[in-house]
Amino acid sequence: MDLRQQPNRLAAAWPWISTLARLGLAAVFLIAGGLKVTDLAASARAVNAYDLMSYDTAKVIGAVQPFLEIALGLLLLIGIATRLSAIIAAVLMVIFIAGIISAWARGLQIDCGCFSKGGELTGGRTAQYGLDILRDVGFLALAGILIWKPRSKFSLDSVLLGER
Amino acid sequence: MSKGNRGRDRSAAKRIVEQQNAAERRRRVTIWTSVGVVAVLVIAGLIGWGVVANQDNSTASTPSVAVDEGTAFAVGSGPVTVDIYEDFMCPICHEFEKQTGPTIAQMVTDKKVTVRYHPVSILDRASNGTKYSTRSAGAAAAAAVDGKFLEYHNVLFENQPAEGSDGLDDAKLIELGKSVGLGDSFATAVNDKTYDSWVTKSTETFASRGYNGTPTIVVNGKQVTGPNETLPTTEIFTQAVTAAAG
Repeated sequence: MDLRQQPNRLAAAWPWISTLARLGLAAVFLIAGGLKVTDLAASARAVNAYDLMSYDTAKVIGAVQPFLEIALGLLLLIGIATRLSAIIAAVLMVIFIAGIISAWARGLQIDCGCFSKGGELTGGRTAQYGLDILRDVGFLALAGILIWKPRSKFSLDSVLLGER
Repeated sequence: MSKGNRGRDRSAAKRIVEQQNAAERRRRVTIWTSVGVVAVLVIAGLIGWGVVANQDNSTASTPSVAVDEGTAFAVGSGPVTVDIYEDFMCPICHEFEKQTGPTIAQMVTDKKVTVRYHPVSILDRASNGTKYSTRSAGAAAAAAVDGKFLEYHNVLFENQPAEGSDGLDDAKLIELGKSVGLGDSFATAVNDKTYDSWVTKSTETFASRGYNGTPTIVVNGKQVTGPNETLPTTEIFTQAVTAAAG
Protein backbone atom coordinates (compact mmCIF):
# COMPACT_ATOMS: atom_id res chain seq x y z
CA MET A 1 0.00 0.00 0.00
CA ASP A 2 1.31 3.38 -0.96
CA LEU A 3 1.71 5.53 2.12
CA ARG A 4 0.70 8.66 0.24
CA GLN A 5 -2.61 7.11 -0.60
CA GLN A 6 -3.53 6.25 2.95
CA PRO A 7 -4.97 9.61 4.03
CA ASN A 8 -7.17 9.57 0.97
CA ARG A 9 -8.41 6.10 1.66
CA LEU A 10 -9.12 7.03 5.26
CA ALA A 11 -10.93 10.12 4.07
CA ALA A 12 -13.00 7.91 1.80
CA ALA A 13 -13.71 5.49 4.65
CA TRP A 14 -14.94 8.11 7.14
CA PRO A 15 -18.44 8.52 5.71
CA TRP A 16 -18.86 4.75 6.04
CA ILE A 17 -17.53 4.67 9.59
CA SER A 18 -19.84 7.56 10.45
CA THR A 19 -22.75 5.74 8.85
CA LEU A 20 -22.16 2.72 11.08
CA ALA A 21 -21.83 4.94 14.14
CA ARG A 22 -25.01 6.81 13.22
CA LEU A 23 -27.10 3.67 12.64
CA GLY A 24 -25.64 1.99 15.72
CA LEU A 25 -26.48 4.95 17.92
CA ALA A 26 -29.95 5.17 16.36
CA ALA A 27 -30.54 1.50 17.24
CA VAL A 28 -29.36 2.08 20.81
CA PHE A 29 -31.82 4.92 21.36
CA LEU A 30 -34.71 3.23 19.57
CA ILE A 31 -34.30 0.03 21.58
CA ALA A 32 -33.74 1.83 24.89
CA GLY A 33 -36.77 4.07 24.34
CA GLY A 34 -38.95 1.32 22.90
CA LEU A 35 -38.41 -0.92 25.91
CA LYS A 36 -39.49 1.85 28.28
CA VAL A 37 -42.32 3.50 26.43
CA THR A 38 -44.69 0.58 26.93
CA ASP A 39 -44.66 1.00 30.71
CA LEU A 40 -44.14 4.60 31.76
CA ALA A 41 -44.91 3.87 35.41
CA ALA A 42 -42.02 1.43 35.46
CA SER A 43 -39.83 4.00 33.72
CA ALA A 44 -40.75 6.50 36.46
CA ARG A 45 -39.78 3.96 39.12
CA ALA A 46 -36.46 3.34 37.36
CA VAL A 47 -35.68 7.06 37.49
CA ASN A 48 -36.94 7.27 41.05
CA ALA A 49 -34.63 4.41 42.06
CA TYR A 50 -31.67 6.73 41.52
CA ASP A 51 -33.01 8.71 44.44
CA LEU A 52 -31.91 12.01 42.90
CA MET A 53 -35.27 13.77 42.76
CA SER A 54 -38.77 13.67 44.17
CA TYR A 55 -41.07 10.97 42.89
CA ASP A 56 -43.25 13.52 41.11
CA THR A 57 -40.24 14.83 39.20
CA ALA A 58 -39.05 11.28 38.48
CA LYS A 59 -42.49 10.54 37.08
CA VAL A 60 -42.19 13.35 34.53
CA ILE A 61 -38.59 12.50 33.63
CA GLY A 62 -39.49 8.82 33.40
CA ALA A 63 -42.27 9.60 30.94
CA VAL A 64 -40.41 12.18 28.86
CA GLN A 65 -37.20 10.16 28.53
CA PRO A 66 -38.49 7.24 26.43
CA PHE A 67 -40.21 9.58 23.96
CA LEU A 68 -37.04 11.67 23.69
CA GLU A 69 -34.96 8.53 23.15
CA ILE A 70 -37.24 7.26 20.40
CA ALA A 71 -37.36 10.67 18.70
CA LEU A 72 -33.58 11.01 18.84
CA GLY A 73 -33.23 7.46 17.52
CA LEU A 74 -35.44 8.29 14.55
CA LEU A 75 -33.59 11.54 13.86
CA LEU A 76 -30.28 9.67 13.85
CA LEU A 77 -31.77 6.94 11.68
CA ILE A 78 -32.78 9.38 8.96
CA GLY A 79 -29.60 11.39 9.54
CA ILE A 80 -30.86 14.94 9.90
CA ALA A 81 -28.66 17.64 11.46
CA THR A 82 -26.39 14.76 12.37
CA ARG A 83 -23.85 16.79 14.31
CA LEU A 84 -26.50 18.42 16.50
CA SER A 85 -28.28 15.09 17.02
CA ALA A 86 -24.98 13.51 18.01
CA ILE A 87 -24.23 16.34 20.43
CA ILE A 88 -27.62 15.81 22.09
CA ALA A 89 -26.99 12.05 22.20
CA ALA A 90 -23.61 12.69 23.82
CA VAL A 91 -25.13 15.02 26.41
CA LEU A 92 -27.72 12.34 27.28
CA MET A 93 -24.98 9.70 27.60
CA VAL A 94 -22.97 11.96 29.91
CA ILE A 95 -26.08 12.44 32.07
CA PHE A 96 -26.71 8.67 32.16
CA ILE A 97 -23.08 7.94 33.04
CA ALA A 98 -23.13 10.60 35.78
CA GLY A 99 -26.32 9.07 37.17
CA ILE A 100 -24.83 5.58 37.28
CA ILE A 101 -21.62 6.84 38.89
CA SER A 102 -23.65 8.69 41.51
CA ALA A 103 -25.72 5.57 42.28
CA TRP A 104 -22.54 3.54 42.49
CA ALA A 105 -20.83 6.08 44.75
CA ARG A 106 -23.80 6.10 47.12
CA GLY A 107 -23.80 2.31 47.24
CA LEU A 108 -27.31 1.97 45.85
CA GLN A 109 -28.22 -1.48 44.59
CA ILE A 110 -30.29 -0.66 41.53
CA ASP A 111 -30.66 -1.72 37.96
CA CYS A 112 -29.46 1.20 35.86
CA GLY A 113 -32.65 0.97 33.80
CA CYS A 114 -30.68 1.62 30.67
CA PHE A 115 -32.23 -1.11 28.58
CA SER A 116 -34.96 -2.15 30.92
CA LYS A 117 -37.41 -0.53 33.19
CA GLY A 118 -34.80 -1.09 35.84
CA GLY A 119 -35.22 -0.04 39.41
CA GLU A 120 -35.82 -3.16 41.35
CA LEU A 121 -32.86 -5.28 42.29
CA THR A 122 -33.40 -7.60 45.16
CA GLY A 123 -32.39 -10.96 46.44
CA GLY A 124 -28.70 -11.20 45.78
CA ARG A 125 -28.62 -9.76 42.27
CA THR A 126 -25.82 -7.27 42.28
CA ALA A 127 -25.61 -4.14 40.23
CA GLN A 128 -23.01 -4.14 37.47
CA TYR A 129 -22.25 -0.48 37.39
CA GLY A 130 -18.80 -0.93 35.86
CA LEU A 131 -20.19 -2.71 32.82
CA ASP A 132 -23.07 -0.25 32.49
CA ILE A 133 -20.64 2.67 32.50
CA LEU A 134 -18.30 0.97 30.04
CA ARG A 135 -21.18 0.35 27.66
CA ASP A 136 -22.39 3.94 27.88
CA VAL A 137 -18.84 5.19 27.28
CA GLY A 138 -18.85 3.07 24.12
CA PHE A 139 -22.07 4.76 23.01
CA LEU A 140 -20.55 8.12 23.89
CA ALA A 141 -17.64 7.24 21.58
CA LEU A 142 -20.10 6.57 18.75
CA ALA A 143 -21.60 10.01 19.33
CA GLY A 144 -18.07 11.43 19.40
CA ILE A 145 -17.32 9.98 15.96
CA LEU A 146 -20.46 11.64 14.60
CA ILE A 147 -19.70 15.01 16.20
CA TRP A 148 -16.23 14.90 14.68
CA LYS A 149 -17.25 13.50 11.27
CA PRO A 150 -21.00 14.04 10.85
CA ARG A 151 -20.99 13.37 7.10
CA SER A 152 -22.42 9.91 6.49
CA LYS A 153 -24.04 7.81 3.79
CA PHE A 154 -27.78 7.28 3.40
CA SER A 155 -28.58 10.37 5.43
CA LEU A 156 -31.05 13.15 4.84
CA ASP A 157 -28.18 15.56 5.41
CA SER A 158 -26.25 14.18 2.45
CA VAL A 159 -29.33 14.53 0.25
CA LEU A 160 -30.05 18.08 1.37
CA LEU A 161 -26.45 19.27 1.32
CA GLY A 162 -25.51 17.38 -1.81
CA GLU A 163 -22.83 14.71 -1.77
CA ARG A 164 -19.42 16.21 -2.19
CA MET B 1 -5.78 38.26 -25.78
CA SER B 2 -7.63 40.76 -23.66
CA LYS B 3 -10.83 39.09 -24.70
CA GLY B 4 -9.49 35.76 -23.43
CA ASN B 5 -8.49 37.36 -20.11
CA ARG B 6 -11.91 38.80 -19.63
CA GLY B 7 -13.41 35.36 -20.28
CA ARG B 8 -11.22 33.81 -17.60
CA ASP B 9 -12.08 36.57 -15.14
CA ARG B 10 -15.74 36.09 -15.79
CA SER B 11 -15.61 32.33 -15.27
CA ALA B 12 -13.55 32.78 -12.08
CA ALA B 13 -16.09 35.26 -10.74
CA LYS B 14 -18.86 32.91 -11.66
CA ARG B 15 -17.13 30.12 -9.73
CA ILE B 16 -16.78 32.30 -6.66
CA VAL B 17 -20.42 33.28 -6.78
CA GLU B 18 -21.40 29.63 -7.18
CA GLN B 19 -19.26 28.67 -4.21
CA GLN B 20 -20.80 31.45 -2.14
CA ASN B 21 -24.26 30.34 -3.15
CA ALA B 22 -23.48 26.74 -2.26
CA ALA B 23 -22.07 27.76 1.12
CA GLU B 24 -25.11 29.90 1.78
CA ARG B 25 -27.37 27.02 0.84
CA ARG B 26 -25.51 24.61 3.14
CA ARG B 27 -25.76 27.14 5.95
CA ARG B 28 -29.52 27.46 5.44
CA VAL B 29 -29.97 23.69 5.31
CA THR B 30 -27.96 23.27 8.52
CA ILE B 31 -29.98 25.93 10.32
CA TRP B 32 -33.34 24.57 9.24
CA THR B 33 -32.50 20.92 9.92
CA SER B 34 -31.22 21.95 13.36
CA VAL B 35 -34.46 23.80 14.04
CA GLY B 36 -36.30 20.69 12.88
CA VAL B 37 -34.33 18.41 15.20
CA VAL B 38 -34.95 20.64 18.20
CA ALA B 39 -38.64 20.92 17.34
CA VAL B 40 -39.03 17.14 17.02
CA LEU B 41 -37.34 16.57 20.37
CA VAL B 42 -39.41 19.24 22.10
CA ILE B 43 -42.61 17.74 20.69
CA ALA B 44 -41.53 14.24 21.76
CA GLY B 45 -40.84 15.51 25.26
CA LEU B 46 -44.20 17.27 25.39
CA ILE B 47 -45.94 14.06 24.35
CA GLY B 48 -44.34 12.24 27.28
CA TRP B 49 -45.21 15.07 29.63
CA GLY B 50 -48.76 15.16 28.32
CA VAL B 51 -49.19 11.43 28.90
CA VAL B 52 -48.19 11.85 32.55
CA ALA B 53 -50.28 14.96 33.06
CA ASN B 54 -53.35 13.21 31.71
CA GLN B 55 -52.95 10.15 33.90
CA ASP B 56 -55.77 10.26 36.35
CA ASN B 57 -55.90 7.75 39.12
CA SER B 58 -58.38 9.74 41.16
CA THR B 59 -61.20 7.58 39.86
CA ALA B 60 -59.53 4.45 41.24
CA SER B 61 -61.92 2.67 43.56
CA THR B 62 -60.09 2.05 46.80
CA PRO B 63 -61.08 -1.18 48.54
CA SER B 64 -63.21 -0.32 51.56
CA VAL B 65 -61.06 -2.35 53.93
CA ALA B 66 -57.70 -0.90 52.86
CA VAL B 67 -55.54 0.81 55.48
CA ASP B 68 -52.42 3.00 55.34
CA GLU B 69 -53.60 5.62 52.84
CA GLY B 70 -55.71 2.92 51.28
CA THR B 71 -52.71 0.90 50.11
CA ALA B 72 -52.67 -2.12 52.39
CA PHE B 73 -54.67 -4.89 54.02
CA ALA B 74 -54.06 -5.46 57.71
CA VAL B 75 -53.81 -8.85 59.32
CA GLY B 76 -53.52 -9.23 63.10
CA SER B 77 -53.63 -6.72 65.92
CA GLY B 78 -50.19 -6.70 67.52
CA PRO B 79 -48.28 -3.58 68.62
CA VAL B 80 -45.45 -3.88 66.05
CA THR B 81 -46.39 -2.87 62.51
CA VAL B 82 -44.89 -4.94 59.73
CA ASP B 83 -45.37 -3.62 56.20
CA ILE B 84 -44.78 -6.11 53.42
CA TYR B 85 -44.77 -4.87 49.82
CA GLU B 86 -45.15 -7.79 47.47
CA ASP B 87 -45.73 -8.51 43.81
CA PHE B 88 -47.50 -11.82 43.22
CA MET B 89 -45.25 -12.44 40.20
CA CYS B 90 -42.04 -11.95 42.20
CA PRO B 91 -40.20 -15.22 42.92
CA ILE B 92 -38.23 -13.75 45.82
CA CYS B 93 -41.51 -12.68 47.45
CA HIS B 94 -42.61 -16.30 47.20
CA GLU B 95 -39.30 -17.33 48.68
CA PHE B 96 -39.81 -14.92 51.56
CA GLU B 97 -43.33 -16.24 52.13
CA LYS B 98 -42.10 -19.84 52.22
CA GLN B 99 -39.15 -18.96 54.42
CA THR B 100 -40.61 -16.46 56.88
CA GLY B 101 -44.37 -16.75 56.30
CA PRO B 102 -44.95 -19.35 59.06
CA THR B 103 -43.00 -17.21 61.56
CA ILE B 104 -45.10 -14.17 60.65
CA ALA B 105 -48.31 -16.20 60.99
CA GLN B 106 -47.20 -17.26 64.47
CA MET B 107 -46.43 -13.64 65.41
CA VAL B 108 -49.92 -12.67 64.27
CA THR B 109 -51.46 -15.46 66.32
CA ASP B 110 -49.40 -14.36 69.35
CA LYS B 111 -50.68 -10.79 68.84
CA LYS B 112 -47.12 -9.51 68.49
CA VAL B 113 -47.52 -7.87 65.10
CA THR B 114 -49.99 -6.23 62.78
CA VAL B 115 -49.02 -7.12 59.23
CA ARG B 116 -49.99 -4.68 56.50
CA TYR B 117 -49.79 -6.39 53.13
CA HIS B 118 -49.27 -4.00 50.23
CA PRO B 119 -49.85 -5.74 46.89
CA VAL B 120 -47.96 -3.83 44.19
CA SER B 121 -47.40 -4.36 40.47
CA ILE B 122 -43.84 -3.74 39.43
CA LEU B 123 -43.42 -6.86 37.29
CA ASP B 124 -46.19 -6.33 34.75
CA ARG B 125 -43.55 -6.60 32.03
CA ALA B 126 -42.81 -10.19 33.11
CA SER B 127 -46.11 -11.70 31.97
CA ASN B 128 -46.10 -11.29 28.19
CA GLY B 129 -48.41 -8.31 28.26
CA THR B 130 -51.15 -9.91 30.36
CA LYS B 131 -50.21 -7.68 33.33
CA TYR B 132 -50.42 -10.54 35.78
CA SER B 133 -48.97 -8.42 38.59
CA THR B 134 -51.76 -5.87 38.31
CA ARG B 135 -54.50 -8.45 37.77
CA SER B 136 -53.43 -10.63 40.68
CA ALA B 137 -53.05 -7.67 43.03
CA GLY B 138 -56.46 -6.38 41.92
CA ALA B 139 -57.94 -9.81 42.61
CA ALA B 140 -56.29 -9.80 46.05
CA ALA B 141 -57.99 -6.47 46.76
CA ALA B 142 -61.32 -7.98 45.78
CA ALA B 143 -60.60 -10.92 48.11
CA ALA B 144 -59.82 -8.45 50.91
CA VAL B 145 -63.15 -6.69 50.43
CA ASP B 146 -64.84 -10.07 50.84
CA GLY B 147 -62.81 -10.78 53.97
CA LYS B 148 -60.40 -13.38 52.62
CA PHE B 149 -57.23 -11.45 51.87
CA LEU B 150 -54.70 -13.63 53.64
CA GLU B 151 -56.21 -16.88 52.40
CA TYR B 152 -56.19 -15.61 48.83
CA HIS B 153 -52.71 -14.09 49.21
CA ASN B 154 -51.38 -17.48 50.32
CA VAL B 155 -53.08 -19.43 47.57
CA LEU B 156 -51.72 -16.98 44.97
CA PHE B 157 -48.18 -17.58 46.13
CA GLU B 158 -48.72 -21.34 46.28
CA ASN B 159 -49.82 -21.19 42.64
CA GLN B 160 -47.31 -18.59 41.51
CA PRO B 161 -46.70 -18.71 37.75
CA ALA B 162 -43.16 -18.57 36.41
CA GLU B 163 -41.75 -15.10 35.89
CA GLY B 164 -41.94 -14.38 32.16
CA SER B 165 -44.92 -16.68 31.55
CA ASP B 166 -48.42 -15.44 30.72
CA GLY B 167 -49.32 -15.72 34.38
CA LEU B 168 -52.65 -17.12 35.54
CA ASP B 169 -55.66 -16.02 33.53
CA ASP B 170 -58.69 -14.37 35.13
CA ALA B 171 -60.63 -17.66 35.13
CA LYS B 172 -57.84 -19.30 37.10
CA LEU B 173 -57.72 -16.33 39.51
CA ILE B 174 -61.45 -16.78 40.13
CA GLU B 175 -61.08 -20.53 40.50
CA LEU B 176 -58.38 -20.03 43.14
CA GLY B 177 -60.74 -17.61 44.89
CA LYS B 178 -63.47 -20.24 44.96
CA SER B 179 -60.99 -22.67 46.49
CA VAL B 180 -60.66 -20.38 49.53
CA GLY B 181 -64.39 -19.69 49.76
CA LEU B 182 -64.76 -16.53 47.68
CA GLY B 183 -67.96 -16.16 45.73
CA ASP B 184 -69.69 -14.28 42.94
CA SER B 185 -68.95 -10.74 44.09
CA PHE B 186 -65.24 -11.63 43.98
CA ALA B 187 -65.60 -13.14 40.51
CA THR B 188 -67.38 -10.02 39.28
CA ALA B 189 -64.67 -7.74 40.66
CA VAL B 190 -61.96 -9.81 38.96
CA ASN B 191 -63.78 -9.87 35.64
CA ASP B 192 -64.56 -6.14 35.81
CA LYS B 193 -61.00 -5.34 36.91
CA THR B 194 -62.61 -3.21 39.63
CA TYR B 195 -59.41 -2.70 41.59
CA ASP B 196 -56.78 -2.71 38.84
CA SER B 197 -56.48 1.08 38.73
CA TRP B 198 -56.20 1.06 42.51
CA VAL B 199 -53.18 -1.25 42.12
CA THR B 200 -51.53 1.28 39.80
CA LYS B 201 -52.18 4.03 42.31
CA SER B 202 -50.87 2.14 45.33
CA THR B 203 -47.80 1.07 43.35
CA GLU B 204 -47.12 4.77 42.79
CA THR B 205 -47.44 5.36 46.52
CA PHE B 206 -44.96 2.53 47.04
CA ALA B 207 -42.48 4.18 44.65
CA SER B 208 -43.05 7.63 46.13
CA ARG B 209 -42.07 6.19 49.51
CA GLY B 210 -38.68 5.47 47.97
CA TYR B 211 -38.99 1.71 47.67
CA ASN B 212 -37.73 0.06 44.50
CA GLY B 213 -37.98 -3.66 44.86
CA THR B 214 -40.13 -6.45 46.13
CA PRO B 215 -40.36 -7.80 48.67
CA THR B 216 -39.83 -4.66 50.71
CA ILE B 217 -40.19 -5.45 54.38
CA VAL B 218 -40.62 -2.61 56.83
CA VAL B 219 -40.84 -3.05 60.59
CA ASN B 220 -42.22 -0.06 62.50
CA GLY B 221 -41.21 2.24 59.66
CA LYS B 222 -37.70 0.84 59.27
CA GLN B 223 -36.79 -1.21 56.21
CA VAL B 224 -35.33 -4.62 57.04
CA THR B 225 -32.83 -6.21 54.67
CA GLY B 226 -30.08 -8.79 54.80
CA PRO B 227 -26.46 -7.86 54.11
CA ASN B 228 -26.03 -5.91 50.84
CA GLU B 229 -29.74 -5.30 50.59
CA THR B 230 -30.51 -8.99 50.14
CA LEU B 231 -33.61 -10.73 51.39
CA PRO B 232 -33.56 -10.78 55.21
CA THR B 233 -33.41 -14.22 56.78
CA THR B 234 -36.15 -15.22 59.22
CA GLU B 235 -33.61 -14.61 61.99
CA ILE B 236 -32.89 -11.04 60.88
CA PHE B 237 -36.61 -10.39 60.51
CA THR B 238 -37.39 -11.81 63.97
CA GLN B 239 -34.63 -9.70 65.51
CA ALA B 240 -36.06 -6.58 63.89
CA VAL B 241 -39.52 -7.34 65.28
CA THR B 242 -38.12 -8.10 68.74
CA ALA B 243 -36.13 -4.85 68.70
CA ALA B 244 -39.20 -2.90 67.61
CA ALA B 245 -41.29 -4.47 70.37
CA GLY B 246 -38.76 -3.07 72.84
